[in-house]
Amino acid sequence: MMDDFFFSLLLAGISVGAVYALIALGLNLTFWTTKTMNFGQGSLMMLCAMLTVFLSSQGLAMALAVFGSLLVVAAFGIFIERWTVRPALQASGGSMGWVVSTLGFGIFLQGVAAKYFGSQAVAFPDVVFTAQDFVTVFGQYVSLQYLVVLAVAVALILALELFVRKTVWGQAVHAVSLDPELALVQGIPVRRLVLGSFMLSSALAGVAGVLIAQIGGTVDPAFGFDLVLLGFVAAVLGGMGSSMGALAGGLLVGIISKLVGGYVSTAAEHGIAFALLMLALALRPQGLFGKAEVSKA
Amino acid sequence: MKISRRTLGLSATALSLPSLVQAQPATIKLGFTAALTGPFNEFGEGINRGAQIAVEECNKAGGINGRMVALAEVLDDQLVPDRAVQNLRRILDNREIVGLMCPSGSGPTLAIADMIQADGRPIINPQAQTPTIVYPNGLDKPPRPNLFSISISNTVESEKLAAALSQYSRVGIVHESTGYGVTGAELVRQELVKRQPGLRVTVESYNQRAQDMTAQLVRVQRANAEAMLVIGLGADFAVIRRNMSRLNMNLALFGAAGAVTMPYIEGAGDLVAGTRAVNHAAFGRRPMHGAAAKFVDLYRAKFGTDRWYGQDAANPLISLAATVGSGYDCINLLIDAIRRAGSTNAAEIVQALDQTRDFEGATIQKISFTPQNHVALKLEDLGTYEMLKRGDRVVLELRD
Repeated sequence: MMDDFFFSLLLAGISVGAVYALIALGLNLTFWTTKTMNFGQGSLMMLCAMLTVFLSSQGLAMALAVFGSLLVVAAFGIFIERWTVRPALQASGGSMGWVVSTLGFGIFLQGVAAKYFGSQAVAFPDVVFTAQDFVTVFGQYVSLQYLVVLAVAVALILALELFVRKTVWGQAVHAVSLDPELALVQGIPVRRLVLGSFMLSSALAGVAGVLIAQIGGTVDPAFGFDLVLLGFVAAVLGGMGSSMGALAGGLLVGIISKLVGGYVSTAAEHGIAFALLMLALALRPQGLFGKAEVSKA
Repeated sequence: MKISRRTLGLSATALSLPSLVQAQPATIKLGFTAALTGPFNEFGEGINRGAQIAVEECNKAGGINGRMVALAEVLDDQLVPDRAVQNLRRILDNREIVGLMCPSGSGPTLAIADMIQADGRPIINPQAQTPTIVYPNGLDKPPRPNLFSISISNTVESEKLAAALSQYSRVGIVHESTGYGVTGAELVRQELVKRQPGLRVTVESYNQRAQDMTAQLVRVQRANAEAMLVIGLGADFAVIRRNMSRLNMNLALFGAAGAVTMPYIEGAGDLVAGTRAVNHAAFGRRPMHGAAAKFVDLYRAKFGTDRWYGQDAANPLISLAATVGSGYDCINLLIDAIRRAGSTNAAEIVQALDQTRDFEGATIQKISFTPQNHVALKLEDLGTYEMLKRGDRVVLELRD
């Protein structure tokens, strides 16, 4: 029988790792189409969770509240692409301004949320299960909230992987990621694909926000900011641009952090985990599932 | 250039006029920096509200010897130490400010403590719990001359918590990684071991705003702890309580004063039932003593039954004492000292504060200071509460 101590750490690591994976996947989506990432993802996570709290407090059914909030944050994806990323990309000399502008937009959203929802933590309602709901697997107590997080994250990642591999639109995304100018010449609607990637990326951030908020039970305007860092690490570790890499990277970051916290020291939870990740990247710089880039002269 | 004696005389008079005016402004001005916004504003905005009530009450009664009192500098630091330092610099640059209140939280207060000590103007600490704020060289050494405290000091709180926890033989302490959490955990651990030398204590820390505490909790679980104490703030305590439920951890749960606030009750929902906590006893006693009852009425009249007060008009949240009442008491103590000193001179106000005897506060029934003792809170001012669910409400019942 598996050790209770190890199993609890593993399960928590998988659960939080699945959220990191979702964030990493959101970062990957925009990386595919524009070679940029939205560092304001954390604020979109917060906004989606805050809107869910607000809409459900207005009497809306929980499913509708979540869906409505996801639509709003997806719409923000259009705004982010149009006003924070596109101008930076149009600047000559390969401007990195999008890093600052996406981050700045995230901080702006925090301020707006603090103004309208207040800056204190507010209670986040249970979406599907409560913290007391569980199943027993091989004699182990397994939280249903954790299982939902894992199931949703894995399902979304697999769906996206299938979309990219098996559909025409997925192939188009692939083409844009390889050479956007050639894709445009061949009649692929690059602009629509780019907008779509930002909308989907934002919606994924929203899903991650709702999933992690029900774990913690509260949400406040600063919620999500730290998680983006871990999501970014997961994306890089897994290999930028790889969906399966995002999943593997997220789970690894989550599990290593929890195991280090449990077996070594909770104070070193992130320190030692990140040191191990640095070592992994030193040995395999392109990440676990990434392919080494070849530049042709 | 030739300067006549008359010109010199006029110049001297002109130069001295503003200083004369500055020396006796019509209004007595007080100031402070606190977390008015940000995730911890339940504390900063809380003391701001308490201060406002105290000033309005004083002015309604005619002020201090006919002079009105004003909160002339109220700045927001969001509980960030650097920002608290910048704000305090600005406040101290205003020479009309004659008395101050410390920021909410140990981090910002520790950051400004040396600066305010060097300045010499009187300051009273409403919330920060770390003992080194008042006694930088150790508890057996003299306090900072101009810094007084009415907060729930870690030293007193740890005694009360240790008394409640000493019935167990294995105890877990989970604390936030701030000065407040680290000092608080160490003091409770020392106190527990002193009371019961064979006691096994497991201590784990977490960073504020962490969304999952499984690693900390399973370590406490593995140590077979029978009871667990959380030293941190309400939102994090809610995460811990929910995490405990997911791990099926059913041990006696205790919280420090900072933990059992509204974010804990809202975030953990029904799971809060059974949680025990140490907090001001004054708001749990029935009937409340005079100053506490008066403050509660004043708060309800001005702000209503809001998030700080709670929904039950007859029974305000116990946390109202630490979040708001302490700000009210700080300003009232300054007003009382200025009145007794009959002066706005810093040294004279400090001397009057040193002579404070049995001042009736809302949060501490009898506040006294001496030149050697600048901490007002005593063990009997704290109570141990148990959180209970009554219908859809959470109530805290005083147990000890």
